Amino acid sequence: MTGWLLSGFLVLMVTGIPVAIAMAGASLIYFYLSGTSPPMVVVHRMISGIDSFPLLAVPFFILAGNLMNNAGITNRIYNFALALVGWMKGGLGHVNIIGSVIFAGMSGTAIADAAGLGTIEIKAMRDHGYSKEFSVGVTAASATLGPIIPPSLPFVIYGMVANVSIGQLFLAGVLPGLVMTLLMMLTVAYYAHKNNWGADIKFLWSRVGKATLELIIVIAFPLVIWLAVSVGVNPPLATGVAMVALFAADWKFKFEAVLPIMTPVLLIGGMTTGIFTPTEGAVAASIWALFLGLFWYRTLTYKMLIKVSMETIETTATVLFIVAAASIFGWLLTATRVTDLVTAWVLGFTHSPWVFLLLVNLLLLFVGCFLEPTAAILIAVPVLMPVVLQLGIDPVHFGLIVVLNLMIGLLHPPMGMVLFVLARVARMSLERTTMAIVPWLVPLLGSLILITYIPIISLWLPKLFYR
Amino acid sequence: MTDTTETKHAAEHVLDAEGHFHVEDAPIDLSHYLFEDWTSLAFFWLLGLSVFYQFFTRYVMNDSAAWTEEIARYLLICTVFVAIAASVRRTRHIHVDFLYRLIPPKAGRALSTLVDIMRIAFFALAVGLTLEMMMKMGNLQMTIIDLPMNIIYGICAFGFAAAAVRSVQVAIENWRRGFSLLERPEHAIEEHIE
Repeated sequence: MTGWLLSGFLVLMVTGIPVAIAMAGASLIYFYLSGTSPPMVVVHRMISGIDSFPLLAVPFFILAGNLMNNAGITNRIYNFALALVGWMKGGLGHVNIIGSVIFAGMSGTAIADAAGLGTIEIKAMRDHGYSKEFSVGVTAASATLGPIIPPSLPFVIYGMVANVSIGQLFLAGVLPGLVMTLLMMLTVAYYAHKNNWGADIKFLWSRVGKATLELIIVIAFPLVIWLAVSVGVNPPLATGVAMVALFAADWKFKFEAVLPIMTPVLLIGGMTTGIFTPTEGAVAASIWALFLGLFWYRTLTYKMLIKVSMETIETTATVLFIVAAASIFGWLLTATRVTDLVTAWVLGFTHSPWVFLLLVNLLLLFVGCFLEPTAAILIAVPVLMPVVLQLGIDPVHFGLIVVLNLMIGLLHPPMGMVLFVLARVARMSLERTTMAIVPWLVPLLGSLILITYIPIISLWLPKLFYR
Repeated sequence: MTDTTETKHAAEHVLDAEGHFHVEDAPIDLSHYLFEDWTSLAFFWLLGLSVFYQFFTRYVMNDSAAWTEEIARYLLICTVFVAIAASVRRTRHIHVDFLYRLIPPKAGRALSTLVDIMRIAFFALAVGLTLEMMMKMGNLQMTIIDLPMNIIYGICAFGFAAAAVRSVQVAIENWRRGFSLLERPEHAIEEHIE
């Protein structure tokens, strides 16, 4: 009976039926065959599976990201990135990466980023004479940053499944995101050196200085509030005054991108100090994005708001449909002791966390090629979690490993989904796209190894703020 | 089709010579949104309002209204279950299609037809089970708000029913066209880029 549940699900999923239907369908078949409970339990558990306040974070993180993803803000972010790093050799390659880092700080999905931003990034690079291969490669690689740098939809889902603090996961993503950024920029620098590329814009002290100043303001903002609070100013007053000063400065000096880049800073700041729960943080980020779009930059039209809402609903519904189905399927997996069997099997095989993590890396890279990340998390994490805890691996660290694997899986040849998207965007054959992406697996797999085997990269920040 | 987009893409430059980006938003067309889209949009905006109201009462008035949390959870359920139908219509539910690249086209066609049938069967069954559950629940009340839970379950049943209808339409469309998006995923990506 137990075997029916799991194999039924796998067979259904491989036919191409929506993953959620494969889960709920396998559960229905199980109830009809075993007769242990009436099949209507399936719909009841599906509905109550999304009857949860923490899950409200999902639509609002998606909404905030979508609200920021319009032409007005996109131009600001790229102009900022260009001013900051465009003067380096291989300039637009660096701009592509920095642009992705900033967008990653506002949204939490990778495939959409690859299709939407990828089109723009590849076009700008092509206009400046970069080869299609290089443009596609750097775009694909930097798209993996989206869910590592907070906020991140996969982390919200992982936190929910693994029962881990979402705030800690978000903090844990910061340093790995920077490590990845660094390794990718080194790769661009290597290409630029090898091919003797020049810069894309002239180095002007005024331009670089202004961009650096904007970056310093973003970093200094929370520090100033923290300092004020630690000398005894009451927190709402300090935050309020700082906000007014920020907007006054933005109005006076017409900053390019200070306010959009501030999004993750406010979010993380609010969550680590306990002002926001993740759900409230997501709502605050949406309000921030709405305020910028509707009133401050006025780039958001009423029609656009409808379209953005519709896209948000679509992503929310497709993810939460799986969450709903996973709540009955996951419960059945535990109830029929499938998870126990898997745990016993793995522990019979190895007791070394290192070996286990290596196997997990291989498994998830493979799974990540076929399966959308949130779906993969909902299937794999409940099964793997007991082993993780038994082996004494930190679940926050494990979350980073899971998400990064699934992201790399997205573009890993021959099957990764971003591969197919970018092949269409760049109008390039699958073979050429594959060859374009292969070199970028070096920095990505390099980061994966560092992040897997040096836990402190992920755990240092959460340990610092949550103890 | 490919030719016109090539010229459109070649005509505009994203990055000008002075180093400024000029990205433009694609024109917005709302005409392809149908009944279930607008219904879930209504639920979603109500959800946004109730959560915003809670945010406001908690941070500005220091006294969060408890009913907003409950209503927000229910509105999320309504948004999601109605929007499931819209994603069926657009074939946007997350699925796995690698098998179709490995098997011969005829087998793919047969398997994809089977998927269409199973999808209709699942949603039809889900409607029946939800109605059955509503009868079992009788007049169970919500926790704080004095309303029957069957309002929420009824909306879920409506969402499943709409999804069943859309599944039938998708099946007919696939049948007429002679292929589904499972067999030719590039068809969907093409539409997404345009």
